[in-house]
Amino acid sequence: MKRLLSWLGIDVRAPLLAGAVGLAIWPFLFTSNYDLRVFTIVGIYAMLALGFQLIFGHAGALALTQGCFFGVGAYVTGILATRFGLSGELTLLLSALIPVLLAIVIAAPVLRLESHYFALATLGIGQVMLLIAIAWQDVTGGSNGLAGIPPMRLFGVEFGKGYGILGLVWVFVIAGAWASHRITRGLYGAALCVARENPVAAQSIGIDTSALRYATFLLSALYAGIAGAMYAHTVRVVSVEALEFPIMVACLTIAVVGGRTHIAGAILGAVLVVNLPEWFRDLEKTYLIAYGMALLAMIIIAPDGLIGLMQRLRTRWFGAPAPVLPQNAQRPAQNSNAGAAQTQTPPRDTRLARIPKGEPLLTIEGVTKRFGGLTALSSVSMQVHPGEIFGLIGPNGSGKTTLINIVSGAYTGDAGKVMLVGTPLSGQASFQIARSGVARTFQNVNLVDDLSVIDNVAVARFGAEQAALGDAFTPGRSGRAWHNARDCALRLLEAFDIQALADQPAGSLAYGIKRKVEIARALALDPMLLLLDEPAAGLNEAEQLDLAQRLRRFSDCGLSVLVIEHNMPFLMPLVDRVACLDRGEVIAMGLPEDVRNSTQVITAYLGAPDTGAAPPIRDAALAHTS
Amino acid sequence: MLQLLLNALALGASYALLALGFVLILNATSAVNFAHGDVVMLGGYTAIALHALLQWPGAFLLPLVLAVMALLGLVFSLGAYFPLKDRPPVSVFISTIALGIVFQNATNAIAGAEPRKGPALFGEGQVNFGNVAIGEQAMAIIGAAALLIAGQHLLFRYTGLGRRLRATAQDRQMAEAVGISVNRMIGLTFAIGAGLAGAAGLMLANTFFASPTDGSNYILKAYIAVTIGGWGNLYGAVCGAMFIALFEVLYPSLPILVPLLKSTTPWLFSQTMSSILLYVGLLAIMFFRPQGLFGEAIQKRV
Repeated sequence: MKRLLSWLGIDVRAPLLAGAVGLAIWPFLFTSNYDLRVFTIVGIYAMLALGFQLIFGHAGALALTQGCFFGVGAYVTGILATRFGLSGELTLLLSALIPVLLAIVIAAPVLRLESHYFALATLGIGQVMLLIAIAWQDVTGGSNGLAGIPPMRLFGVEFGKGYGILGLVWVFVIAGAWASHRITRGLYGAALCVARENPVAAQSIGIDTSALRYATFLLSALYAGIAGAMYAHTVRVVSVEALEFPIMVACLTIAVVGGRTHIAGAILGAVLVVNLPEWFRDLEKTYLIAYGMALLAMIIIAPDGLIGLMQRLRTRWFGAPAPVLPQNAQRPAQNSNAGAAQTQTPPRDTRLARIPKGEPLLTIEGVTKRFGGLTALSSVSMQVHPGEIFGLIGPNGSGKTTLINIVSGAYTGDAGKVMLVGTPLSGQASFQIARSGVARTFQNVNLVDDLSVIDNVAVARFGAEQAALGDAFTPGRSGRAWHNARDCALRLLEAFDIQALADQPAGSLAYGIKRKVEIARALALDPMLLLLDEPAAGLNEAEQLDLAQRLRRFSDCGLSVLVIEHNMPFLMPLVDRVACLDRGEVIAMGLPEDVRNSTQVITAYLGAPDTGAAPPIRDAALAHTS
Repeated sequence: MLQLLLNALALGASYALLALGFVLILNATSAVNFAHGDVVMLGGYTAIALHALLQWPGAFLLPLVLAVMALLGLVFSLGAYFPLKDRPPVSVFISTIALGIVFQNATNAIAGAEPRKGPALFGEGQVNFGNVAIGEQAMAIIGAAALLIAGQHLLFRYTGLGRRLRATAQDRQMAEAVGISVNRMIGLTFAIGAGLAGAAGLMLANTFFASPTDGSNYILKAYIAVTIGGWGNLYGAVCGAMFIALFEVLYPSLPILVPLLKSTTPWLFSQTMSSILLYVGLLAIMFFRPQGLFGEAIQKRV
């Protein structure tokens, strides 16, 4: 009983359950044809918004095409049913697919654009469709539209006025909600979250952010197309109204007022947005002003929408919900093949056996990079061998981070090549490079603050678990992949002794811990080469020592590390070899002792020596440069 | 032909004002003002209302419209930008979309949906130079817009205030660090942007009338102009605006200018077709040269 109460009490589920029951009863309480029709429209808008949440909420792209896809779906049904007399099954199928086709066509130029470019471009596509609908009178009926659309008939069953079409629409809503729920949880959902909140980090852990965007964009078009078909059969008339901006406005308002990522948000938002103009009849013509004001107020006061507000209030009143950690949290690390290299006493990486003796793991050859007139790197060459820890030093602005960015694929070099065991990395996208065994961390830690520590790490298993959209519909697949990923993440956190913080949001951690989490996330990729950009910055001496020991242990198991650092007392004892960059050129390379004593290096750091200055002092100064 | 070119220039001048305001706000806030088209529309209605009240010609109303719209821009920034300036940019998109909806529907509720004609700057007659007739309104628009653009240029280039405005747009943190009151500069940028948009609205309302739903059309024009000219490039945007106007005016007249095309179907050279082509062209530009025709690629910092 107590459990039941707490389950009801601390969770957002209780009011949602009540809401669902209320919705189920509604059409049997308000039974006039008019009320049933309004309720059907609510369902249609909920469907539309469920699709919109995928691209807007989950993928984080403000696509103003959702209303356009809806209108296209409605017109396809209208045209095919009235002019060609196609059957209901066919019109529905085509209404769903043609917006998806349209999405495929426009995705190529539009989808890779950054936020506001993207939003404006999608707005323009809607405008073009509207112009076509008005101008192409022979087919679309021009501004008069198409009348006389027959009621929906599927497989011999007619879904006519009243309960018929209402039931059908809500069956689609429930199916759509279920599909959306399946898609947006687990590893795929976490990847969507990282891709939305921190695209650079997502790329660095092997997530193809554009593929995720593409998939959600097509899905959103699918939902919109189905909603449009339902609309055509409900209203029985299709006019340019279906393509006009108010539909998009309503859809956006639903998602913002209800909540961008929560399924209940789409339904609650649809109930409010469709009914408010009905409830406030006096405002009849000006209800859109009310939409606008509501939109503005919500975005300022409660950007997560009403459902987000509910969740926040729950947290305030009842505390955060108990986190769910993998069952085997206390189990000693086992030798599973996934992520084996990261356990505390990991076996040697078996991939190394395939590298011929003496062959380098990473070869950088003549890499040059220019930014406008500035040459950041000029013909830089170096090699990193299996199991080696290679240090990269040099004054600020000498091109160290640029080099890492080129190796990891964030930048494209202007000349030269980068090879990983004979395979060229140049020209590959950073997510591909990450998947082929090169992991990295960032100078400024790149974690998703709202995601828990364990999920931040687990999501890097996206590639290893071969997570895909289809998992949502393969029974057991999604859950198992997510479980494996979190299991692996937990073992990595144990390797850094931070498993106790697994359920904390990453944003709440101290800086030093964040660095460890980021390294753990990079290791979750099961890399052969780890690129570290100033890993010791902001760590105290004890933490630095600890980090150095752990890195040493990983490299003993075969992991190669390329590390940028200014902190010589940390770096020099750690590394096997060092290279020093100055103004984009390698000025010294070799054993730490030799590089430290190189006059060129000393000059690069401290300027040209004055005559008579005692070298040992400079040496000591360099040793403490941090 | 000359009249046609002049019309295109006049339209381009109005679009230039609209695009200039859009870019100024974009640069200062790195946020897109989706309501910018609706601000143009409001400018047109403000001119119509003031004209009904005062019966002055448009040229004398212009300073009044500038002032009213500048004030509106300031209020707009307080409602839609400042409460959200530390949030992700999508929040500002939505807040400006929201205010745009409010503007559009409030105008609809007050003035009605039917298009209204705005006052001419001086007159609507023709001036004859020899045997060439030239529209007064077109010439007046070109003159007024040139004055406003020159004014904006002088203000930004040669005054201390302009330097502070530019500094704010270039690097907000740096500007703040050297003691510029950044918020005041951003508010002022909104005022200038809205003022220019309002002026464009006044000019466009005479030839093309004003109706409450004009906004989305205008914002797209600004967007296309800015995309052609290169994001954030003020004078690129002016060129882009001119290009759009030339295309819009000349393309539907092609069958008149080129006799060979006369026999083609009428829809091929319709206004609608020109809008569609313009947009498809834009998509092509974005696909092949995402940095714009004149712009330089900006490398993202990792």
